Amino acid sequence: MRYLKTMKRLYINSLLVFGIFFSSAQTTDDHEYQIKAAFLFNFAQFVEWPANALPETKAPLVIGILGENPFSTYLEEIISGERVNGHPLVVQQYKNVEEITTCHILFINLAETDKLEQAITSLKARSILTVSDNSNFIKQGGMVRFIRKNNKIQIQINPEPAKEANLIISSKLLRVAEIVH
Amino acid sequence: MPIQKKLMRVILLISGIMLFITSSAFFIYEFYAFRQTALQKLSTVGNVIATNSTAALAFDNHEDAYEILLALKTEPQIIAASLYDKKGNLFSHYPANLAINNFPVSPGVNGFRFSVSHLEGFEPVLEGKRQLGTLYLKSDLEDMYERLRLYGTITISVITLSLLLAYLLSKILQKSISKPILALAETTKSISDKGDYSQRAVKSGEDELGWLTDGFNHMLEQIEKQNLLLNEFNQDLENKIKVRTAQLETVNNELESFSYSISHDLRAPLRTIIGFATMLEENFSGKLDDEANRITSVIKINALKMGDLIDDLLSFSRIGRQEIKKTRINTIEMVRQVITESAIPNNKAGIDWAIESLPDSKGDPNTIRQVWINLISNAVKYSRNNSQQRIEIGSFINIDKDQQVFFIRDNGIGFNEKYKHKLFKVFQRLHSADEFEGTGVGLAIVEKVISKHGGAVWVEAAVGKGACFYFSLPI
Repeated sequence: MRYLKTMKRLYINSLLVFGIFFSSAQTTDDHEYQIKAAFLFNFAQFVEWPANALPETKAPLVIGILGENPFSTYLEEIISGERVNGHPLVVQQYKNVEEITTCHILFINLAETDKLEQAITSLKARSILTVSDNSNFIKQGGMVRFIRKNNKIQIQINPEPAKEANLIISSKLLRVAEIVH
Repeated sequence: MPIQKKLMRVILLISGIMLFITSSAFFIYEFYAFRQTALQKLSTVGNVIATNSTAALAFDNHEDAYEILLALKTEPQIIAASLYDKKGNLFSHYPANLAINNFPVSPGVNGFRFSVSHLEGFEPVLEGKRQLGTLYLKSDLEDMYERLRLYGTITISVITLSLLLAYLLSKILQKSISKPILALAETTKSISDKGDYSQRAVKSGEDELGWLTDGFNHMLEQIEKQNLLLNEFNQDLENKIKVRTAQLETVNNELESFSYSISHDLRAPLRTIIGFATMLEENFSGKLDDEANRITSVIKINALKMGDLIDDLLSFSRIGRQEIKKTRINTIEMVRQVITESAIPNNKAGIDWAIESLPDSKGDPNTIRQVWINLISNAVKYSRNNSQQRIEIGSFINIDKDQQVFFIRDNGIGFNEKYKHKLFKVFQRLHSADEFEGTGVGLAIVEKVISKHGGAVWVEAAVGKGACFYFSLPI
């Protein structure tokens, strides 16, 4: 089934390439970001935030997107009505780092490397789980990176920055992920 | 069945049943305990695997899921396991080389259950309260059955040993019951075999057997006393019999001398009468007229007849008093002798004798000879008017009464059967003296002799057709 979808995707892409030039910088794959949205949601279950980040049960768990939103409505759909340990879930969109107040999981979707580095640095010491697609993400101090291998979305985790941010990542998640430093 | 075997059987049967019931109860309990244990174990394993596989399911990591299931290698009784995602699709399965159709298509009801030969079921994979998927586990029951087999073997061994022990112990202990019984039985047997009522049974113990022994001994005392009384009584009777016999013998002897003197004393005047009558006939027949001669003849004939009567009566009474001594008689010889040598008035030449082979008989030769003489001479006498005289003599055996029957059949004048009861009485005659001579004592003698031998006499006859006389002798 996946194979067929891949073929279909290729066909459409090739049309796009040879036919109409669409000014989309990102060749987004719906399905891929659907999965990633699910993963973002799942991270909430496998990560422990310090008490001051989630002071009470009523306090919402915020999943933020820095940069453009690649998930369209998937993320909202997935979290709608759900609770993690009693915390309701909220999705926030940020244009720049300064806008970030309370956030727990942050998906950084910035293409420019320097902007990325800036963001990561300023987010240090805050208990936010940083996630990105970017290939340099881990090198620049990011915590979680989505990587595509064998047509599957896999996870790379650098536990050190997470530890520095007082985040406890469940060993179950660590097992499933590729540990990188 | 001997009493010892009975006791043993009872003891062993009860022991066996008790052992069996106890062992069965424990065995059944163990069976259910094993099942519970197996169930719990599988639940625990299921819990652990499910908990570990949350992330793998959450993050769609098939390799990790398989690795987690692979940990089940350490539990060899778990023969299949599979993970299903949120949607119920097969996510991972173990062992890898087992065909997919061995696993359920989609998750079923939660919980583990026993099927025929396996234990299997489903466990939800939960992170917090969220179900991320389902785990399926299938365990075989081999180790459980092996434990049960072992348990069963031990149980059977213990039962066997216990029964053996029960057998040995009861063999020893049942003696306390059976020994006194056997001793009593022995004594009883010995007493009845030897007839010695002075023996007494040995009493062992004060229980019911003791009472039995006492009662038994008491009975023996009674028997001894009664035996003594009986003996005394017997002795008494014996003495009385001796006295009576002596008395009888005296009477008999008196009678003997009485009849002897009668015969002599009666005969003397008779001889005189006959003598004088003869003298008249011989010396004075010319001097007397016809009437006187006729009268003389009548006197003589009657006197002679009286002599015959006296003789016959004497011989009859003698026979009645004689003791018979039984020996073996060669019947056929005796009969032949009687026919040829005895003074039977007959016309030998004209008689058709049909004599079967006669078996030997047991009796007093003298008196039995007299019987044959009387019967045969009767047969001859009463059939002499028949031109074709035929006399049959034969025998047969009456098995019912253990007697040998002899018969003499003639084809003479016969008689009316309705008078046959008179025939064997003294002086009874069915024909007049003119027709056939005789005093009427012959058959009475036959009857007396045969009844003294323990036999019987009877007759069949018809007027004009002859008669058949039967007599029987004990074999």
